[in-house]
Amino acid sequence: MVRVPIEVFRGGAGTPNRFDKFELELEEHTPILTALLKIRDEIDPTLAARYSCRQAICGSCAVRVNGKSRLACVTQVGPELAKRGKLRIEPMGNQPVLRDLVVDQKPFWDRYHRIEPYLIPDPAHPMPVGKENPMSPEQVAQFQETPRCIACASCFSACPALDSDPDFLGPMALAKLFRFVVDPRDGAFHQRLETVQNQSLWLCLRCNLCVEACPKDVRPAERIVDLKWMANQEIGKREPGSKHSIGFAENIQEGGLLNERRLAMDSLGLIGTLGQLPKAITMMRHGRSIKKHPPIQGREQLDVIYNAMSGREDLQHRPMSGEGGVRGKAPTPPPAAASPPPATATTTAAAKPRPSGETKEAHP
Amino acid sequence: MQKHDVLVVGAGLAGQRAALEAVRAGRSVGVLSKLHPLRSHSAAAQGGINASLGPQDSPKDHIFDTVKGSDYLADQDAVEILCNDAGPTVIEMEHFGTIFNRAPDGSLDRRAFGGASYNRTIFSADRTGLALLQGLYEELSREKRIHVFEEWTAIDIVARQGVVQGVVALDRKSGAIEGFSARAVVVATGPFGRMYPNTTNSHASTGDGTALAYRAGAFLKDMEMVQFHPTCLPGSWILITEGARGEGGILKNGKGERFMTRYAPNKLELASRDVVSRAIATEVKEGRGFPDGTCHLELMHLGKEKITTKLQEIVEFCRNFAGIDPVVEAIPVYPGQHYMMGGVSTNPRAETNITGLYAAGEAACVSVHGANRLGANSLLETLVYGKIAGANAATYAAKAPESGLTQADVDLATKKLHVIWDRKQGESPAKIRQDLQKVMKENVGIYRTPEELLTAQKKVAELKGRYANVYVQDKSTTYNVNLTDALELGYLLDLAECIVAAAILRTESRGAHVRLDFPKRDDANWLKHILVQASPAGPKLSFLPVTVTSYQPMERHY
Repeated sequence: MVRVPIEVFRGGAGTPNRFDKFELELEEHTPILTALLKIRDEIDPTLAARYSCRQAICGSCAVRVNGKSRLACVTQVGPELAKRGKLRIEPMGNQPVLRDLVVDQKPFWDRYHRIEPYLIPDPAHPMPVGKENPMSPEQVAQFQETPRCIACASCFSACPALDSDPDFLGPMALAKLFRFVVDPRDGAFHQRLETVQNQSLWLCLRCNLCVEACPKDVRPAERIVDLKWMANQEIGKREPGSKHSIGFAENIQEGGLLNERRLAMDSLGLIGTLGQLPKAITMMRHGRSIKKHPPIQGREQLDVIYNAMSGREDLQHRPMSGEGGVRGKAPTPPPAAASPPPATATTTAAAKPRPSGETKEAHP
Repeated sequence: MQKHDVLVVGAGLAGQRAALEAVRAGRSVGVLSKLHPLRSHSAAAQGGINASLGPQDSPKDHIFDTVKGSDYLADQDAVEILCNDAGPTVIEMEHFGTIFNRAPDGSLDRRAFGGASYNRTIFSADRTGLALLQGLYEELSREKRIHVFEEWTAIDIVARQGVVQGVVALDRKSGAIEGFSARAVVVATGPFGRMYPNTTNSHASTGDGTALAYRAGAFLKDMEMVQFHPTCLPGSWILITEGARGEGGILKNGKGERFMTRYAPNKLELASRDVVSRAIATEVKEGRGFPDGTCHLELMHLGKEKITTKLQEIVEFCRNFAGIDPVVEAIPVYPGQHYMMGGVSTNPRAETNITGLYAAGEAACVSVHGANRLGANSLLETLVYGKIAGANAATYAAKAPESGLTQADVDLATKKLHVIWDRKQGESPAKIRQDLQKVMKENVGIYRTPEELLTAQKKVAELKGRYANVYVQDKSTTYNVNLTDALELGYLLDLAECIVAAAILRTESRGAHVRLDFPKRDDANWLKHILVQASPAGPKLSFLPVTVTSYQPMERHY
């Protein structure tokens, strides 16, 4: 047993914000939720908290422990105290405080519902009557860890991008979207990617705080990168985010060094680039070149790397076939969209053959 | 005042399935839940859902296994519905989007489970409840017409002259009390294991709907049948799925013996739960357990690959709650309260004795589990009978007269709530709850004696007396857990009283109910259900015959 000091945020519901300090005698491996319940049962029954299963499956009890978003039921007091020298428990971020440790989760659930979180069947491939859709191990593997998500909102609480852009869907909703995008039973692959590409896909800053916060190892940031990769493959350059991403890859492959002038053109177009002129001038003043570099030595080794990265077999859209087997081919997109990659794609967006209009030699 | 054709109380698998069915039948549907639907206790179900989809298997085998598992107390007409609908139910869930484990040929993978003749448990690793809850909630999210009232606690079910009128509920976020007028009400509030300290149930598992239906005049049934799951982590009482044994896990006592060879020579670790729980308790009681009073569940021989892919959550539970790595060491286990076979008595149409009141899932008792539920039949029951409850509630509501819920009903429920809430002093709900848990653990466990049961009866009565003076220190209207704790304690006390009364009455041993003074099953006198109804003098007990269709009672061997 050790003496455990705990500071707990109190406030909301018209009461002043403060930290109440408690001292408990606990085993080191005691979960923080158990400590909070002990406070409720023995010291102060007015402490408001949300909890239910106490085994990391209902997702109710996420709070911030010493500033980090954590599930109270699986975070133990001892290691946290040893590491940080204190235990400060606060409500989650990015959601208004209702009272004490309870937040209003409306912002979180609203975004969840915005992604159309249900299967949108493909009329060309109706569900088989009286039997399950067969799913190969490869198809199942594509869900990655997304089925483990318990909607605890720890990732949502930790995400700094939500703070800067209210339109951002946030890590959980995007990971959930990924789950539908790779689902062979879902017929809205193209539509979902197109919608999210225009919406908020590129607002993720890849800070990885959601990966660190997730108690179920869903790794939302990685799922967002996967979505970006799939959107680039499926739709190609459409708005600044994808233009920048694809342009960056092409740019590096070409000469081995970043050609910022060209990247600005790729990402923003001519008019947009002109708007960046002041920035360019500042860069030049500081001696940073925005000229096109000559290709670096050993550039051809880059091709090996690009080829190795191409055609990620773990991320193909694998819809159901009409015969019940696996059809490794993407559905035909609307005419306006770029042509989809072949099933066994051996090209990345970056290594895609250039449109015929472009005559530039890759290796001058 | 809210107004719906059908109001569902509880939004776990049974409640959501009922709501989906009712809304698709064209009725206006409201769903009241004290938790967000995705936080329901259904998510905690681990091992799987039974359906006889294997090549040699059949619904008939599933029916027989279920009836045998129930120790012949299940109503066989209800079991037939459950098992005949199992295949279509699982396939429907797959079509809704549930992500199941797959066999190499792409079909739904199946694992072995206790008391089953074939591998018929469809699963999603060891988080099948979560997978089904996600799949069903996704399907429900299509239905923009359903009004889901999240984080509302039901405080009254109103019935007049045997006809349901609606529900009164408390908004946990604002403290507002509102009436929910409905032509039909479906109770699907899940378990009430929180009257035990050694339970796998969530903190929310307090039987709200079951207790309110009881207070409104509904019969409860099979209340004495309390399932103890053989393999729980002592201390935290977190469940280690039966799937662990289904995948090949074995049990050993302190002497290193695989003791199930003595209790169930054929099925060994995969005998029915009552048998395995008694075996573990007996080994420990007779001095053959480990020094910490446990037996060991060994998975090490299954290999890291199988353990970390098919029992992924278990690995984390063991690590987080017991500091154990099941890949390299044995898991100490002991039986813990897990499931209530009893609940609001319904017929196979999910109807109760109150017109317009339906019930489904663990809150209800059809009875398909009788004296002992087979693993992976509870998820199945929530969906099969949730759907039946929703369909029949919708059909009834389509022609039922307008509900007569009035403001006076709401005012009365509000007044009763304020009697508790406005009290200036008294005893904390936490203290009374802890004492209730102690009484239940010590006196109403795996082995029961008349002395202990009578002690429990006396003590629960005393606790009810103390509850009359329960004190809610928190006066805030916003997310007042102290207040809902007090209400939930009231529900648990009522249900505990019913469990004890029925356990005293049943003078035989059957399934999960084992009386040391009556060690044998007694079909001549006890092939019947005990019904409990509220009366001013306390629980009033009566009997209901068991429906036997195909299988006459036989002695059970595993």
